[in-house]
Amino acid sequence: MVSVNFISSIGKSVKSAYNRMPSVVVKKDNIINGVAYIGRKWTSPQQRLILGATAIVMQPYIDWKNKHVDDKTRKVSVARTCAKIIAGTATGFALRYGFIKGIKAFSKPFSEVPKDAKPFAKKMMTWLTPKNMDPNDMDALDQYRNAMGTIWSLVAMVFTNFLIDAPLTKFLTNKFIAHQQKTEQKGEIKQ
Amino acid sequence: MIAPFKWLTKSHIYEKYSKDPGNMLVHTGVIGWFLSSAAQIFAIAINDKISKKEKMFLIPQEFADAVVNCVSFYAVTNSMKSFGKKLTSSAKLRTPAITKLLEERGLVLKKGAERAKDKIYAGDWDFNITKLDDYKSAVENTYKPFNNGVEVITGLVGSILSSNLITPVFRNYYAAKKQKQFMTYSENNQKLPAPMSKLSFANYQKLAASKPYTGNLKV
Repeated sequence: MVSVNFISSIGKSVKSAYNRMPSVVVKKDNIINGVAYIGRKWTSPQQRLILGATAIVMQPYIDWKNKHVDDKTRKVSVARTCAKIIAGTATGFALRYGFIKGIKAFSKPFSEVPKDAKPFAKKMMTWLTPKNMDPNDMDALDQYRNAMGTIWSLVAMVFTNFLIDAPLTKFLTNKFIAHQQKTEQKGEIKQ
Repeated sequence: MIAPFKWLTKSHIYEKYSKDPGNMLVHTGVIGWFLSSAAQIFAIAINDKISKKEKMFLIPQEFADAVVNCVSFYAVTNSMKSFGKKLTSSAKLRTPAITKLLEERGLVLKKGAERAKDKIYAGDWDFNITKLDDYKSAVENTYKPFNNGVEVITGLVGSILSSNLITPVFRNYYAAKKQKQFMTYSENNQKLPAPMSKLSFANYQKLAASKPYTGNLKV
């Protein structure tokens, strides 16, 4: 069983190298607080926004440098990638953010529901409150709201992807292609 | 509740994601990419300003994007997130407050001190802070916020790498290959019509007409 021994020896080497690496103690309070804040507050809308911002910097460049296709296809590909990123990030962020905010209104802790509220209002305020929630852990409730809001926004995206994303991507792609053509024509006239 | 939909219940979502925001970002991210790609394929198909030739590239590109994105998003983001978790749970990466808690328990190997045989120290691969006897009562509140933040950050780095670097490179390579295949296929189909069972004069005329560059009809 050479292969098992080989894998086991690699595992031991990785462990040993990891153990020899010095531990890192993060000492700056603002970094520690920042990391904790990100863990508590950054959720799917922020993730979508960051992904979109980095995508618009990286993806069109990668498409532009793609030498496997001809010039015209490459230009359309860049235009569509930009359009897709803008449309996807805008709707993705808005939906996630909106649903998470909305879910809060329907997932109040049972202790926060006013005693004099009408039965229907009481029911709506706790409609999405999990029965197994820990009343002393509000952070856990916030994370649950983030997860629930994101799941609901994904369900909504089944429709908005077709109703908003796709037409918006098409519209922006055509705008960008028209802009590319105008720029090229201007270049040709100058030459 | 029907068993297959158990994962959609409020209690299950609370149990699964209330303590682990990084996991939620990975799982919902994969579903999000899948839905987004389905819509994008639809968008290309209905766009009459994109030529058939470009569609031959863009549709496979989007399909490849969906497959590579979902797989790489899950694999890379999850691996990065797990790496972040390993760094914090083994206390390789920690805060002074966590160090103090570990020192009080004699789990930190001082600089220059000799390792006790068979003892697992903070920062070792096999060390797991969440397995300490008094983790829930004395350590969790200090450790958890830092760990959650590191997991979200490493997961985010993983998702940027997978969505914005690995996926575009792979999808372009795959889509270009597919475009060439499609173009060769369509060219062949134009030049070589389906073989006719019996070569009548009418069929011969059709065959000749299918080749517009053939100047004269040679009998």
